[in-house]
Amino acid sequence: MAETSASAERPVEASPANALARVGRLQGMARALLSTRLDKSGGRLRLIALVALAAYLGIGGKLVALGLSHDPPQTLKVAAEQAASGARPDLLDRNGEILATDIETMSVFAEPRRIIDKDEAVELITAVLPDVDAKDLRERLGSRKGFVWVKRQVTEKEKEEIFHLGLPGVGFIPEYKRVYPNGRLGAHVIGFVDKDNVGIAGMEKYLDERSLTDPHVAGFAVDPAALKPVRLSLDLKATHALRDELAQGLEKFRAKAAAGAIIDVDTGEVVALESLPDFDPNDPGDVRDPEKIDRIDVGVYEMGSTFKALSIAMALESGKVGLDSRIDARDSLRYGHFTIHDFHAAHRVLTVPEVFTHSSNIGAARMALMVGVEGQQAFLKKMGQLDRLRTELPEGAEPLAPKRWGELNTMTIAFGQGISVAPIQAMMAVAALVNGGELIAPTFLPRSEAAAAALARRVVSPRTSESMRYLMRANATHGSAGAANIPGYYVGAKTGTADKIVAGRYSDDKVLTTFMAITPADKPKYLYFVMYDEPQALPGDDRSHTAARNAGRVAGRLIERIEPLEGAPPARQLPDQPFPLLARLGYGYDADKAGKE
Amino acid sequence: MWRFLHVVAIGALIASAAYVYSVKYQTIYASEQIVKTRHLIDKERDAIGVLRAEFAHLIRPDRLQALADGKLDMRPLALSQIVAADELPEPAAKVDSIGRKLESLGLLGQSATPSAGVGGATPSPR
Repeated sequence: MAETSASAERPVEASPANALARVGRLQGMARALLSTRLDKSGGRLRLIALVALAAYLGIGGKLVALGLSHDPPQTLKVAAEQAASGARPDLLDRNGEILATDIETMSVFAEPRRIIDKDEAVELITAVLPDVDAKDLRERLGSRKGFVWVKRQVTEKEKEEIFHLGLPGVGFIPEYKRVYPNGRLGAHVIGFVDKDNVGIAGMEKYLDERSLTDPHVAGFAVDPAALKPVRLSLDLKATHALRDELAQGLEKFRAKAAAGAIIDVDTGEVVALESLPDFDPNDPGDVRDPEKIDRIDVGVYEMGSTFKALSIAMALESGKVGLDSRIDARDSLRYGHFTIHDFHAAHRVLTVPEVFTHSSNIGAARMALMVGVEGQQAFLKKMGQLDRLRTELPEGAEPLAPKRWGELNTMTIAFGQGISVAPIQAMMAVAALVNGGELIAPTFLPRSEAAAAALARRVVSPRTSESMRYLMRANATHGSAGAANIPGYYVGAKTGTADKIVAGRYSDDKVLTTFMAITPADKPKYLYFVMYDEPQALPGDDRSHTAARNAGRVAGRLIERIEPLEGAPPARQLPDQPFPLLARLGYGYDADKAGKE
Repeated sequence: MWRFLHVVAIGALIASAAYVYSVKYQTIYASEQIVKTRHLIDKERDAIGVLRAEFAHLIRPDRLQALADGKLDMRPLALSQIVAADELPEPAAKVDSIGRKLESLGLLGQSATPSAGVGGATPSPR
C-alpha cells in the first residue's frame, strides 16, 4: 500500500530509473520489516520494552497527578446534580393529611471560571439579592471551583431579576425544598432537614437512615415520583388539640414548659406528641437550645407518684400483696436518718386501693420493701425502665438510675424519687399495666394490632392488669384524679407531683407535675400523658399546684376534645361488668366504691 | 416495455423514499411531543404539589381554629351535644300554620282564587 501510493504520487518529477530504484528500496524495507531475523530481534525487543515502559510511566505519572489534585475536574452537570438537594417522600399523618412535602424552587449558581468581571457580577447580584453577603460572595466567586452556589431557593421575582441581569456564568437549577404546612404542629416528631434536604432530626432523619429518600449519589438517582409517601402514626387533629390545650395551660399556670402525648395502648402507636416550647421546622433556628428539646423522648424526669402504679403492680404481681392487703401508714417511715412522709397523711392502716388513691408514699415504700431490692430491679428492667427506649426517632435518652441501689433507693423509687426516666418510657410501662399485661414498644409509624401482638411481651398477668385498671378508675372517682373524670368515658387516672431538684436538693415550691389517664378504664384504648414543669397555683386553688390542679385539668379537656375526634362518642351508661376477674374474686365490680372509706 | 418498468420502479423508489422520510419525521415529531408532554406533566405535578402544600397550609388546624373563633358565632362542641340517632325525639307533626292563620282571620274560602284541582291545596288540620 505504501509503495504504490508513494510511486503513484510522484511519477512525473522523478526519472524512471530513479523511481525504479526507489521502489526497489521500499520493497527491501518492507521485506525487512516483515521478516524475522534473529540478529535484529534483540534490538527490537529492547525498543518495544522501552516504548512500553515510557507508556506505563506516563500513565503512572498521570495517576499520581490525579491523586494529588484536590479538586478533580468536574463537568457542570455532575457538579450541579451533586450539589442540588434530593427529593424526599411526603410525610402524611395517619389520616393522610400532609405533614411534610417537597416543592420545587430555583437556586442560583455560578461558574467562577466563566465569569468575566467578578466585581461587577458581585455588585449586580447583591443589588438584586440584598441578603447575600458581598464579601462572602466575592470570595466564593474568586475560588477556582467549577461550581458555587450564589443563593439557594430564590423566589420567582428574584429569579426573574437575576435572569435579566444577563450575567454569563450565572445560572439556575431546580431544587427541592422541604415545607411543613402545619408549622409547629408535631414538630418534635416530624423533625426537619438542612439546606441540602438531608434529615437532621425526628422522622426526617429516620427516613434518611432507612434510605427512603433519594440517596443522591451519582448513578443512584431516584425518580422523585417513585418515592412513596410515608405515613406516620400521628393524628394531626389530635396533635393540634393537644398542642392547643397544652399551650393554654402553659399560659394559665405560668409554667416553664409543658409536654403531652397520647398513645394507643393496644398497638403502641403514638397518636399525638407535643412538647412546649417548640420550634417551626420550616425555620428551625437554634435547635441546640435545651429549652426546645422533645421532653417526652429526650428529657428524663423523676415521675413522682405516677410511678406508684408500677410499684403496686409489682407488689400485686409478686403475690405478696393482694388488693385487700392492709398496709400500715400510721406513722412516717424511718430509715437511718431519713424519714418518708405522706403528702396527704391518713395516719392509719390503708388498703391497697387506698394507698393508690391517697397516693401514700409510706404505703408504696412498704410494698416495695416486701418485694425487695433485687425484685424491684428485675421488675423495672422487665418494664423497660432501666434501659434507653429506642423508637424510630433518632433522639432519646438513657434513664438515670442509682448506681448503688440499696433499700433506701428501693423505698424512694417506689414513689418515683431517685429514678429518672423519659416520659415515653413511663407511658410504655403504664400502657402495659392496663392493656392486659403486654409490653409494646411505642412507635411513630402505623402498626396493626396483629403486628403489635407479634411484638408484645407479657410482663404482668391479666389479673394484675385488671387490678391496675380498677385502681386507676377508683382514683378518678374517689382519689386525686377527679379533674379528668369526664362523664361518658369511664376514665381511670393517676396524678404525680414530684418536687424538683434544685442545686442538689429537693425544692419546696418547684414541682414537676405529671398525669396519666386511660379511657375507658374497663377496656383502655388511649393513654393520655400531660406534664407541666414548674406550674404555679391558680388564684382559686388555695396555693396548690399539685398535678390534679394543672396537668389533670388539661388531661380532662384533652379527653373531652380528642375522644369525639377519634370516633368515640360518650357512653350513655357505665359499663355493665368492667372488671369481671375481680368481680369473681369478690371485690365488687364497682370500682367507684373501692376508694370510699 | 422495459423503459416503462424502469419508470415505474424509479417512481416506486421515490415514493417509498418519500414515505419513509415522512414516517421518520412524524416519529421524530411524535417523540418530541412526548418529551414536551412529559415536561408539561412534570410541571403540572410540581404545580399540584405546590397547591397541595398551600392547601394544607391554609387548612392547618390552628389557622382554622383562629378563624372560627374570630369570625363565626359558634362555640366548641360540648359532649352533651353528641347523641345517638335513636335518642333523637320524634319530629313534631307538620302543621299548616299559614292556613290556620288564614282560617282564624276568617279569610279562608272567601278568596276568589280557583282551586288548584283535586287534592291540590293543603287542607288545614283541625
